[in-house]
Amino acid sequence: MNRVKVLQVWLCCVSLWRFWVSHAVPLDCKDETGSLTHCTSISQEKLLDRVIQHAELIYRVSEESCTLFEEMFVPYPLHALRNQGGNVCHSQPFPIPSSKSEIQQISDKWLLHSVLILVQSWMEPLIYLQTTLDRYDDAPDALLNKTKWVSDKLLSLEQGVVVLIRKMLNEGILTSSSAIEQTLAPYDGQSPEVLESVLRDYNLLTCFKKDAHKMETFLKLLKCRQSSKLSCLSH
Amino acid sequence: MAYSLSLSLLYLGLLCGNGLVSARGSELFASDPNGGPHFTGCRSREQETFRCWWSAGTFQNLTEPGALRVFYQTKHPLFSEWQECPDYTRTVENECYFNKTFTHIWTSYCVHLRSVPQNITYDVDCFTVENIVHPDPPIGLNWTLLNVSRSGLHFDILVRWAPPPSADVQMGWMSLTYQVQYRVRNASQWEMLDLESGTQQSIYALFTDKEYEVRVRCKMSAFDNFGEFSDSIIVHVAQIPSKESTFPTTLVSIFGLIGVVILLVLLIFSQQQRLMVIFLPPIPAPKIKGIDPELLKNGKLDQLNSLLSSQDMYKLDFYHEDPWVEFIQLDLDDPAEKNDGSDTQHLLGLSRSGSSRVLNFKSDDDSGRASCYDPEIPDPEDMASLLPGHSGRGEQHPLVSRSSSSIPDLGVQQTSEVVETPVQIQPAVPSWVNMDFYAQVSDFTPAGGVVLSPGQLNGSPEKKKEDENEKKKIQFQLVSDGAYTSETTARQFPADVPPSPGPEQGYQSFPTLAVEGNLWNGEYLVSASDSQTPYLLPEAPPVPILPPVSDYTVVQEVDAQHSLLLNPPSSQPTVCSHSPNKHLPAMPTMPMGYLTPDLLGNLTP
Repeated sequence: MNRVKVLQVWLCCVSLWRFWVSHAVPLDCKDETGSLTHCTSISQEKLLDRVIQHAELIYRVSEESCTLFEEMFVPYPLHALRNQGGNVCHSQPFPIPSSKSEIQQISDKWLLHSVLILVQSWMEPLIYLQTTLDRYDDAPDALLNKTKWVSDKLLSLEQGVVVLIRKMLNEGILTSSSAIEQTLAPYDGQSPEVLESVLRDYNLLTCFKKDAHKMETFLKLLKCRQSSKLSCLSH
Repeated sequence: MAYSLSLSLLYLGLLCGNGLVSARGSELFASDPNGGPHFTGCRSREQETFRCWWSAGTFQNLTEPGALRVFYQTKHPLFSEWQECPDYTRTVENECYFNKTFTHIWTSYCVHLRSVPQNITYDVDCFTVENIVHPDPPIGLNWTLLNVSRSGLHFDILVRWAPPPSADVQMGWMSLTYQVQYRVRNASQWEMLDLESGTQQSIYALFTDKEYEVRVRCKMSAFDNFGEFSDSIIVHVAQIPSKESTFPTTLVSIFGLIGVVILLVLLIFSQQQRLMVIFLPPIPAPKIKGIDPELLKNGKLDQLNSLLSSQDMYKLDFYHEDPWVEFIQLDLDDPAEKNDGSDTQHLLGLSRSGSSRVLNFKSDDDSGRASCYDPEIPDPEDMASLLPGHSGRGEQHPLVSRSSSSIPDLGVQQTSEVVETPVQIQPAVPSWVNMDFYAQVSDFTPAGGVVLSPGQLNGSPEKKKEDENEKKKIQFQLVSDGAYTSETTARQFPADVPPSPGPEQGYQSFPTLAVEGNLWNGEYLVSASDSQTPYLLPEAPPVPILPPVSDYTVVQEVDAQHSLLLNPPSSQPTVCSHSPNKHLPAMPTMPMGYLTPDLLGNLTP
């Protein structure tokens, strides 16, 4: 009995350790041949710039997707919903600062972690959005392509932020997106293009656009802090 | 099932209601935009604070401050209850100011305009702050000249500006994109350039003598709300008259002109001859058609004779006043008139009847062609048959003339031709030996034959007549071919020719004729050195119709050279008159060519 328990614990620890190690070691890069090689290092500033570029692009594409969806499916009087930034956006596990003063007060660590949380929180809803949009009869291909592109780029963004965290904060973080469970409105099997589902999807897109802007702003603030700390903090 | 349906309907209703309520203008909520209190706008300048303005509308009782109040509610997790406006701006009427602490980005706000006593919400406005950001205009707009085109008509400028100081671009809090606009001053339309994320932009292809206005505005990247425009700046570049460019142009043009002039001069000198011909054509020397002046100089008598015989030297007018006509008409008095008429009629009849044998008057310009080689020359027998019969009809000197006035039916083509051509007689040498040099046409046979007066066979009895004949012959000759005689010869005759009565009356006009006949200038009178064949007119030997006396001959035809072809006196072989030189020594032969003065001298007794 004890031996079985010890064995189980040992197996569990081994698996966990392996799980932890696989995500904590530096990412293995694959070259053209497919073999794993040691990744070439990149400076922190360049990495941050690339992450910011990713975030900017994601934000722009999300804004275009929202516009496309709005033109296609949303009745005109409800276009003002856009300005509201989404009525019911999924809440975050911990509050993210939303005013500039607050943001200026939080640390880099919190900034990065906030970005990471945001990125990870949107991965599943985007997949869901893709499946939803596919079921629309006359969804434009541009819209579908954009949403797919966004979810792909979001993964890259997550990886970049993880690396940044490791570099800047010297932390290792589990990157499994399944670590954070998101609560979403369950898919209740209704047919699409009913106003309710349309509004729901529209809300989703609006919320994502807002959060993408948030990510971009955070990363830019971070960059300012990295370059010249005094001017960024004292504003 | 019903429960879920109701829930969904309720949810839908909430959403729709919320959407409708949040629509700007708030038409659906309790008050119409014309009258009731409503929000006029909410704006943020820098994404850190924002303001909301409202107006009481037509409701006068709500204009005093404090009657209307603003309440807001955020979806912020921490502040979800209704709160009143944190700061009613004192300086500005109806403005609610949210400072930094109360501004939460990425948070949706809903502001309500309420009248508290009545607890009526007149207007609602929901938004998130980043969606109502209208950045301040950029500052520090200036321009620098990039370049001016070579023509001096266009120029390019570089416009620079700085982001608005309120927008925290440095920190990355706001990312701005700018839009530059320009126009010609006081024009109606602004030219818009593409969005620019940097703080400078080039403007190309502006005109140098025009004034331009340039302004710029900005907005947050990927958002829609532009801020206000900055103040316009004036751009003006004066047109520089480029003097330097004209100087080389004038030099080049001057050198070009000089080059062209030199080329022209060279061209003229090289092509001098041809240009002289073109611009100063040579005055054509007078010449007779068909006669080569060289030929005259060379002096080939045969050719000359043939040429001249075929020439059309007399003008038509000359022949209209042809005294030949008079000759014919006057000579034929009683018998003449009758005979003339008969003769003419005979001739006419002859021409009508014997078309094939008619006197072949042809206007053939073949010069130099001997009469005997003319294929159209009818046989002498044909001509002989033309003459119905003849006898001396008296002193008639009907000269065969082709004057169209007298014998139109004979197919006269040109009177000049007739007169010109010497009557070529095909002489028989032996018969000509005893004959005079030329004979006189004495009569005109009804058959159309020309009856010549008897020659000087006997001599003296006919001397006078012979003289006359000679004169007449000469006259005839002169008349017929006045061109062939010289003036000297012409002058001789008028003195000798008295106006003779009767048949010689026709010769009255001889002097004039002779003179007139000298239309031909002396050019063609070959000099005495040239061997000229005497010209024989109707000196045809007597036609063999009266065998013993061949006083006359029958005009067979007129050949191509417009010479009258007369019957030979007997069946003599026709001697071609192409060898007039041979005939010259034998006087009675039929020469062609000119009557030279010496020949004339020989002829005159």
